[in-house]
Amino acid sequence: MPDRSAVGCPGDGSGKGGRPVLEINNLEVVYNRAVLVLRGVSLTVPDGEVIALLGANGAGKTTLLRALTGLLDIHDGEVTKGRATFEGEDLFGEEPDAIIRKGIAQVMERRRILADLTVEENLLAGAYTRRDPEVRDDLEAQYARFPVLGDRRRSVAGYLSGGEQQMLAVARALMSRPRLLLLDEPTLGLAPMLVDEVARVIQELNQQGISVLLVEQNAATALAISSYGYVMETGKIVHDGPSEKLMEDEDVREFYLGLGGEGRRNYREVKHYRRRKRWLS
Amino acid sequence: MQTFLQLLFAGLALGAIYALVALGFVVIYRSSQVFNFAHGEFLMFGTFLMTTFLAVGLWWWVALVLAMLATGLLGVGVERAILRPMIGRPVFVTIIMTIFIGLVLRVAVITFWGVGERGMPTPWRTDGGIRLLDAPMLFNALWALVFAGVMLVGFYLLFQRSKLGVAMRATATDQEVALGLGIPVGRVFAVSWLIAGILAALAGIFLGMFPRSVNINMSFVALAAFPAVLIGGLESPLGAVIAGLSLGVLQLLTQGYVNPMLGSFGQNFHQVLPFVLMIGFLVVRPYGLFGTREVERV
Ligand SMILES: Nc1ncnc2c1ncn2[C@@H]1O[C@H](COP(=O)(O)OP(=O)(O)OP(=O)(O)O)[C@@H](O)[C@H]1O
Ligand SMILES: [Mg+2]
Repeated sequence: MPDRSAVGCPGDGSGKGGRPVLEINNLEVVYNRAVLVLRGVSLTVPDGEVIALLGANGAGKTTLLRALTGLLDIHDGEVTKGRATFEGEDLFGEEPDAIIRKGIAQVMERRRILADLTVEENLLAGAYTRRDPEVRDDLEAQYARFPVLGDRRRSVAGYLSGGEQQMLAVARALMSRPRLLLLDEPTLGLAPMLVDEVARVIQELNQQGISVLLVEQNAATALAISSYGYVMETGKIVHDGPSEKLMEDEDVREFYLGLGGEGRRNYREVKHYRRRKRWLS
Repeated sequence: MQTFLQLLFAGLALGAIYALVALGFVVIYRSSQVFNFAHGEFLMFGTFLMTTFLAVGLWWWVALVLAMLATGLLGVGVERAILRPMIGRPVFVTIIMTIFIGLVLRVAVITFWGVGERGMPTPWRTDGGIRLLDAPMLFNALWALVFAGVMLVGFYLLFQRSKLGVAMRATATDQEVALGLGIPVGRVFAVSWLIAGILAALAGIFLGMFPRSVNINMSFVALAAFPAVLIGGLESPLGAVIAGLSLGVLQLLTQGYVNPMLGSFGQNFHQVLPFVLMIGFLVVRPYGLFGTREVERV
């Protein structure tokens, strides 16, 4: 896909176009010393922007986030090649808590709230790496941002609704005062209204200066709030470009937005297309 | 009425000891999903260590604290050196490892201290006591309750109210999330084993005073606390404590009232009772009284 990847680089988009906070270069990840899941991924998140990472199931999006947050180990995964830097500092080889202290927080796939702890305890767990006395103030700040959480601060988190749990997961990540937020499919399984709510929260956070790497399968939402997007397929970036360009791109429209040019999808063509692209890449 | 109260007090004291042992199981299981079959041997180790500390002339209270800490640290060491590398292996591997650790400890205790019975000196008169509601309560039982009470309240505050407690519960709920939030999961394991060791030593020392002496069979008390663990629910500290206390009381009341009715057949009925109850519970409520199936709504 030579001409498509040439549409630009992140930072050319509508965003503030700052220096990169996160830079990933040629990343390779292997699981169980056998399965090569990321095959040379490069990606940049410029300061103060929302960057979307799209891709079908199994593309390797979650794996990329695990590599960045030091969580490959427990999945028996390993970075075999490549480099990632956050504000110029190397990330690979660091422990998860050290990475959080640098200023990266993540919201894991499927929310993963601590179901039998209270809402407040979930938030406190998110502030575990902090020693400063302002944790209490930040709790109140989260309750102000998400009033539902404030109302239910003493209730067991497992009984919150799906949307409330997603808000809790985001609030918990914010408790470490990140400058870069990694979100793994935050709209998964949410009703359309809640999807919009999550999108609004992400934009708000971004306006407050937090850079965001947004992993999504919901391409329409992700591209609407991001300045630049990457499309990943079986461990490789196969497309990238400013979000509005990606939104107009025929292939992206067809395969990730479900809005094919001729309206209807033809499965045979899909397969043909995939084959062709693999051969090209 | 007097007999009843007397049995009740003794039962509560015995139950408090069960509660300490059961809580140790639960704390370890919750944090690291290891069912520690060597727990009884930790208890025995702490108790024998106490007798030695006393024999060399340490002040009783100092000896107590040292014995508890030493047992706790032994737990930390065993977890770090032997069980940590087993993470991710099938459950039966860790079970076999803990059984093996128990055996090694048992051999070590026998080699070091021999198989003979020992007494456990106390700083209070063993035949003395107080009168409560017009019934006698031995000092041994009183102090067992006081100590266990202090430890249990301390544990509750640590577990429910402290930052470390949040970390422990977070780790128990979802290890990957805990790691992802920057919680030092390894340190949580270590703290759990430390706590379990401390509780085990304390339980053993009080068991050594009454109703048993210090000998190499005392590790089987852990077996007796087993039903408390399972009835309370393997994941519930509160359940372990309540079930432990209830079992102690039930056991002594059975010994006092039911055994005599059963004649020679019933001599040891009170000892099997907890297991009978346990089996009943496992059939009716497999997740125990306080265990939860899983609080989750997706
Ligand atoms: N622990 C693991 N061991 C081995 N293979 C794994 C492991 N975790 C993920 N994989 C494999 O790596 C590939 C990428 O998985 P990953 O979870 O990163 O994809 P994803 O893009 O996040 O997918 P989804 O959209 O479904 O969340 C998949 O083929 C998956 O089967
Ligand atoms: Mg994923």
